[in-house]
Amino acid sequence: MQCAECRDALDAFFDSELQPREHALVRDHLATCLDCARHSEEVATVSRRIQESLVPHRAPDVLKARIRAAIAEDAARPRRRSRWHWLPLAAAGLVIAAVSSAATLLAVHRGSAADQVATAVLESHVRSLLPGHLLDVASNNQHNVKPWFDGRIDLSPSVPSLDSAGFPLAGGRLDYVASHPAAVVVYTRRQHVINVYSWAEPGADAAPVTAESHGYHLVSWRNGGVEFWAVSDLNIGELAQLVALLRR
Amino acid sequence: MVSAQVERFETLILPHLDDAYTLARYLLRDEHDAQDAVQDAALRAFRFFGGFRDGDPRAWFLAIVRNCCRTWQRRHRRDRLSIPLADDHAAELAADSASDTLAMERSERAAIARAIDALPPEFREVIVLRELQGLSYAEISGVIGVPVGTVMSRLSRARRRIAAALGQTLEAS
Repeated sequence: MQCAECRDALDAFFDSELQPREHALVRDHLATCLDCARHSEEVATVSRRIQESLVPHRAPDVLKARIRAAIAEDAARPRRRSRWHWLPLAAAGLVIAAVSSAATLLAVHRGSAADQVATAVLESHVRSLLPGHLLDVASNNQHNVKPWFDGRIDLSPSVPSLDSAGFPLAGGRLDYVASHPAAVVVYTRRQHVINVYSWAEPGADAAPVTAESHGYHLVSWRNGGVEFWAVSDLNIGELAQLVALLRR
Repeated sequence: MVSAQVERFETLILPHLDDAYTLARYLLRDEHDAQDAVQDAALRAFRFFGGFRDGDPRAWFLAIVRNCCRTWQRRHRRDRLSIPLADDHAAELAADSASDTLAMERSERAAIARAIDALPPEFREVIVLRELQGLSYAEISGVIGVPVGTVMSRLSRARRRIAAALGQTLEAS
């Protein structure tokens, strides 16, 4: 193999993209030619430096929620070109369920009552990420957020300040989830949003239970006649850490 | 029927949104443009999803993202080739005074980031697809729609340009 030929193949050699025969030829040439071997080193070095410099970005939650909502909406709309396919279905009396929000998309399992609540909480969480839906009261100060709920809902959610634990308070809102008016306290962690729902629910206390669906984590527990749900796309470890702080 | 399609799309395509967003950030160099382009790409991907049979779903989706970014750039005529990248790299550079070695490493990284940013788009995309997203030459060829041989030569030239830019920084320091 000639040096010029070898130089042209160095990147593909480094990336293991050569055919076995060519790969062997380059390898043998590098073993005998110091100059080409030095160029080969350079390719490896610059590739490593480039990899160190490039950073993966994380798609923001809001973008993910927007995309899910747009897809659900699109799926609910019959396609123009397939109009003829819908006719026999309509004739057969089938009703295409309207997928009008991210809701149906996020169905966890249509099984038990707890699953249905989880689905409702998840839908509410995704909806809250749409622009302008997250907060009724935006404040990092617990003394602004807590009194805001007074007279608006028949429970007084606890709103601890968790800044020092790395969960800054963002604010709160009222929501309506699974037939319950709910108080929602919103915390953040880096770019993640954590919604903490609470509503009155008679029954014995229950320890935290976790669930996962579509990349979101949910933790639910019951304490003193109040049901709590914490939901986020944060990893389960950090979400559990927040739950432990809230239960203290 | 409809929901089965949605479910399959959720399973195969949506897990790659971070990669899609990363590619769009590097191609468009603006976070809002990147968000809009990725949303557009996801919806298009969903509409064409019936046509996706086999192959790598990530590469399939990235091809659509890449084309949406191209269209986006053409439509908005915002070519910011000459604007030096990344305030965060500049800030990183300015903020540092901890140690000389660290400062040197950081200034090197900033120099590479600037060099990548200054590459023509057809070079920048192969660098990101290969060095960050780890696609094979054949996959890159599918994403950007050029023969494998062209991928090979573009990647090689892009690396040399970056090496040259880095060499200048090292000599200057």
